[in-house]
Amino acid sequence: MAERYSSFTPGGTAWFLQRVTAAFLIVVLAFHFFLLHFVNHASEVTLLGTQQRMDHIGYFLTMVLFLVAGAFHGVNGVYNALVNQGLSGTPKKVVLAVLSLAGLALVAQGTYVALVMAEMI
Amino acid sequence: MSQSYNRGLIEDFGRWKEFSAGMWAWIFHKFTGWMLIGYLFTHIAVLSSAIAAANGETMMIAGEQVNAYTGTIQGLEGLFIIRVLEVGLLAVAVFHILNGIRLLMVDLGVGLTAQDRSFYASLVLTGVITVASVPTFLSGVGL
Amino acid sequence: MSTQQQEPESQESPQDPEMKGTESPQQRRLREKQEGMVEDQAEKEAEVEGETVHLKVFRYDPEIADKQEPRFDDFHVPFEKGMTVLDAVMYARDEFDSSLTFRHSCRQAVCGSDAFFVNGKQRLGCKTQISDLQQPVRIEPLPYQEVVKDLVVDMDHFYDQMHAVEPYFQNDDTPDSSDLEEQRQSRENREKVKMSTRCIWCGACMSSCNIAAGDNEYLGPAAINKAYKFAMDDREPEDVKEHRLRIMEQEHGVWRCQTQFSCTNVCPKDIPLTEHIQELKREAVKKNLKFW
Repeated sequence: MAERYSSFTPGGTAWFLQRVTAAFLIVVLAFHFFLLHFVNHASEVTLLGTQQRMDHIGYFLTMVLFLVAGAFHGVNGVYNALVNQGLSGTPKKVVLAVLSLAGLALVAQGTYVALVMAEMI
Repeated sequence: MSQSYNRGLIEDFGRWKEFSAGMWAWIFHKFTGWMLIGYLFTHIAVLSSAIAAANGETMMIAGEQVNAYTGTIQGLEGLFIIRVLEVGLLAVAVFHILNGIRLLMVDLGVGLTAQDRSFYASLVLTGVITVASVPTFLSGVGL
Repeated sequence: MSTQQQEPESQESPQDPEMKGTESPQQRRLREKQEGMVEDQAEKEAEVEGETVHLKVFRYDPEIADKQEPRFDDFHVPFEKGMTVLDAVMYARDEFDSSLTFRHSCRQAVCGSDAFFVNGKQRLGCKTQISDLQQPVRIEPLPYQEVVKDLVVDMDHFYDQMHAVEPYFQNDDTPDSSDLEEQRQSRENREKVKMSTRCIWCGACMSSCNIAAGDNEYLGPAAINKAYKFAMDDREPEDVKEHRLRIMEQEHGVWRCQTQFSCTNVCPKDIPLTEHIQELKREAVKKNLKFW
């Protein structure tokens, strides 16, 4: 019950990164929504337009960083939600592994797509 | 005396009427969070059509031959249900952002006594922004 | 029996202005009113009727065969101005059913024995005015703790968590007794930890916490607040503070807090629990980042 717990899994770093990514995402998500729904309408998106945007290295890097931050924030958030519900032991390790893989796969696929859009591949 | 009684979950959703602002904020934040991460996976999947487009794949949309990326997106955007879902996504994202700002303030120890009011404010603001965006989101789509 | 019955009458006698002044029940009531918890209507009705209070009390007794199935008993207790929930259940026990069991001792919000789940909220029985509540007044044992009998819950887990944070002053280099007899705390520092010292270990916060309910290892608001009291005490050396933060930053320590403010809302001593937990989170992050 309340014995001294192992301190090999301090949650401080994840907690802090969750906040840092949150601050970043607030700005970029708002920008993203604004750009692709109000400046350019989503219904008018074409490959050409996307490629033009992605040709700017700053925009490209922002989008990739956006993806990485979003994937971390989301996957870590899901993991925390499950731990808060009392997930522990082996199921917890399995969930962590599955979520990490899903997050990595998302980032990998997203980066690949971004590279294609920027015509770097 | 060794026996005792476990009442199980007491404050489950059956007591939702008694939940306080902070509790609702937590529930909504978690709910919107699940939606957003779910959407992110879908979003990247849809955008992956750019790979097919780069390989020269084309498709027919509104009687025109266009590349796979443009076709996929415009095909989806042509659907009324997708537009409605997009308005929902905006509402979810705006609430998550506004309540997220509220939570960052709480983390920094700013305005903790106003945490219930700031939750109501983020709700109201979400509603206003969503309603104001409906015309933009539904422009140029046939029912 | 007779003494137990008489005491509440003499002590709780109506309209003692001083009793009203302490512990800011007024402030608390104002807040509850804002939250819409208090029905003005009910208050007026109770005053108009002036007769009885309808209590619905949770009953459970593992030792008697036909009481093993939990149920609610109804009691109609004569209302008196200034009557608290504790007064009402004491009256019910003394006059109607002597087997009705609950913990109580000081009757003035100091001992922390009589936290109940009253009308869906964790409250201290002796600090909750009947007139502030909607009737029937539903009185249950604290949620998320095993019920031992009637309103008595098993507090062992709560106490374990309290002890897990080493709730005692630690300082190796005590000043030489010839030179100083007391380890004085600065006024500013005392002011900083003032609210955290008010904890009476009633367990209301822990019982209100959604996360503590799901995660049995979570230290919980009361224990973290206790740790705050010592971690923020300037008289403890730096290495002790670091040691305390290490306990706090474990996986089931401060990070589990989701800032739902449930604990802060129910605390009968108005301790800003969430604020204290948040400050410890920041302290732990600062310690790990070194630069800040």
